[in-house]
Amino acid sequence: MIALGLSLIFGVMGVINFAHGQMMVMAMYVSYWIFVLLGLDPYLSLVVVAAIIFVQGYLIQASVVNRILDYPEAMQVLPLVSMGLILENLALLLWGPDYRSPQTALGLETLWIGPIMIDVSRLIAFALAILITFLIFILLKKTNIGKCIRAASDNRTGAIVVGINVDRIYNTSFALGAATTAAAGVLLLPLMPLSPHLGHDFTLTAFIVVILGGMGNLIGALVGGLILGVAESVSTLFLPATLKHAVSFSILIIIMLFRPQGLFGGKK
Amino acid sequence: MDQPKNKGMDRRTFIKTSTMIGLGVAASSFGVPKLLRAAPPTIKIGSVQPATGPLAVIGVGQRRGNQLAVDYINAMGGIKSMDGAKLELLLGDSESKPEVGRSEADRLINGGAKVMTGPFQSGVAMAISTLCEQRQVPFIMDVAALDAITDKGKKYTFRVFITVSGLLEGGIKYLKMVTDMKKVMPKRAVVTNTADAFGKGMSGGWVKFMEKSGLPIEIVDRVEFPLGIHDLSAEVARIKAAKPDILFPVSRPGDGIILTRELYKQRVELLGIYGPGSPGWYEPDVIKDLDKLIYYVMVNVPWINPSSPVYKQANAAFEKAHNRYLDTNSAYAYTGVLVIADILERAASTDPEKILAATRQTNFKNHPVVSGPIQFDEKGDNTGALTALIQVQPDADLLKRVKIVAPTEFAQSDKIIFPAPQLWKR
Repeated sequence: MIALGLSLIFGVMGVINFAHGQMMVMAMYVSYWIFVLLGLDPYLSLVVVAAIIFVQGYLIQASVVNRILDYPEAMQVLPLVSMGLILENLALLLWGPDYRSPQTALGLETLWIGPIMIDVSRLIAFALAILITFLIFILLKKTNIGKCIRAASDNRTGAIVVGINVDRIYNTSFALGAATTAAAGVLLLPLMPLSPHLGHDFTLTAFIVVILGGMGNLIGALVGGLILGVAESVSTLFLPATLKHAVSFSILIIIMLFRPQGLFGGKK
Repeated sequence: MDQPKNKGMDRRTFIKTSTMIGLGVAASSFGVPKLLRAAPPTIKIGSVQPATGPLAVIGVGQRRGNQLAVDYINAMGGIKSMDGAKLELLLGDSESKPEVGRSEADRLINGGAKVMTGPFQSGVAMAISTLCEQRQVPFIMDVAALDAITDKGKKYTFRVFITVSGLLEGGIKYLKMVTDMKKVMPKRAVVTNTADAFGKGMSGGWVKFMEKSGLPIEIVDRVEFPLGIHDLSAEVARIKAAKPDILFPVSRPGDGIILTRELYKQRVELLGIYGPGSPGWYEPDVIKDLDKLIYYVMVNVPWINPSSPVYKQANAAFEKAHNRYLDTNSAYAYTGVLVIADILERAASTDPEKILAATRQTNFKNHPVVSGPIQFDEKGDNTGALTALIQVQPDADLLKRVKIVAPTEFAQSDKIIFPAPQLWKR
């Protein structure tokens, strides 16, 4: 889902959001905060958190990203990397460096089918990831705003000519990508301790997943994420766990050599 | 039409300003700078800690420990043998990376640091110690355990903390004590560790020490994972498949939480968790968040001495400033600066050779940790360094759950709970 948000943003604007992981961490902190202050389980605060990060994403796009869209790609990187650093340090300032691991209602729940253990939090995350991907797919295919997003993605000038407010569509797309990532962060909260530095790794992993599935391809992001997750987990049975990242990057290199457009194709 | 206003300085303003500056300069030749000249000099101490990155929780705590000691020394009148010279802490952030730690240390030395301290991580300590040897700046490490840091006959490098060898000896000693006392001997064990310099060195050393210990415990698997890992489900499945009776984790903050939760979920049956010596099991937030799951974990670790008057005073100030207690790493950071102040007091100079001579004569007893007097051997290691065995035990007060159970002269609880109830039966 993190990759889904990144893919959506890249697919529409051609911008790689290097602050993506940090936006997810922000969502995790907001959810954690709601849990601590109001006792509301992360699954119940998911929509509220996604809405808050939607607004944050909208503002980032309107204030920063829209201004750099026409810059060379190398120059687009810096403002977004900077944004990531700002968000990370903001989290450090607001919540401190401590690892936080809230005891949520389903955080330790498991289902057993004979000797096979199923982690309930992971199962919920998996089911909701598919549901949210499906909803975004429907939004893009069937709704008016979805059609506008696809039009702006296909041909920016053409979209402007037919009267679409492309800046606003871009703001909405970035916000939608941010909200998707926020939902992913909320689903991860019961699974891992939260700390401000968490974002980098997820940005990198999401980036690999997006390339694997095909830049800008939403189904590709979902399938790419599954492939990478399974490959990393299975690899620990045969290889030292320290080589997890080597496995991810090896897959990335192989894909780039033999299918540079990604498994499901995408923007070049 | 309005005349545009001249935004530059007009003649009258220029005359007024120059007169004021002139008077200021004239005055400064008389009374004012004499006061400045009379002010004691400032001695800069460079502190490089992992203030961001996966070890930020420790790095920030260590910075605070360093700063608390600097404030204390300054409040007590500074370095008296140097006309009450005040200490000033220059801060560097290693970001948990050796190369960054080295460049930060270089920056602080260029900024005037006369003594360096830090840096928690052994890998970073190696990088900084090499630099300090080149730059001839004394490096008094507050925390960093790998023996190799001081193994190469370095002249300017000293360590207040214990070495990995010291940690391992303590770990074996207490493990024998627990198994003898409880008459329960695990047969199979798994060692886990993070893949940083300390994690690899410590777990490798533990396996060797266990083989030589005479304890009939077989290490059936060693599971290593990257620092800052987010998911240990596959690793714990591997641990479960190895069917250990006891787990020896060499961890870092964060992975201890993930490991424990995953052991719970996968129902891994253990007699207990025994940490040979690493963080991740005693930090206040870990105790709070894991609650019953962290009960009965034992860790062999250099620890605070809660009954020491120095600890009581420092802890009160730390709690007032940061609303949390002075944990072991922060206490060692505090101790590091106290030792530096003691050395400067005796050296009465910031000349590196005089500081070195004073460092070798150190015999520092007024510290807040479980340790003998701090003295340095020819390698620069603290001969008084000790470890304690701590166990997390049930207590209504979260802050009192971590208890020293050995050595007896420091013990806060006279009972040790082993074997521990299974995680899911608490």
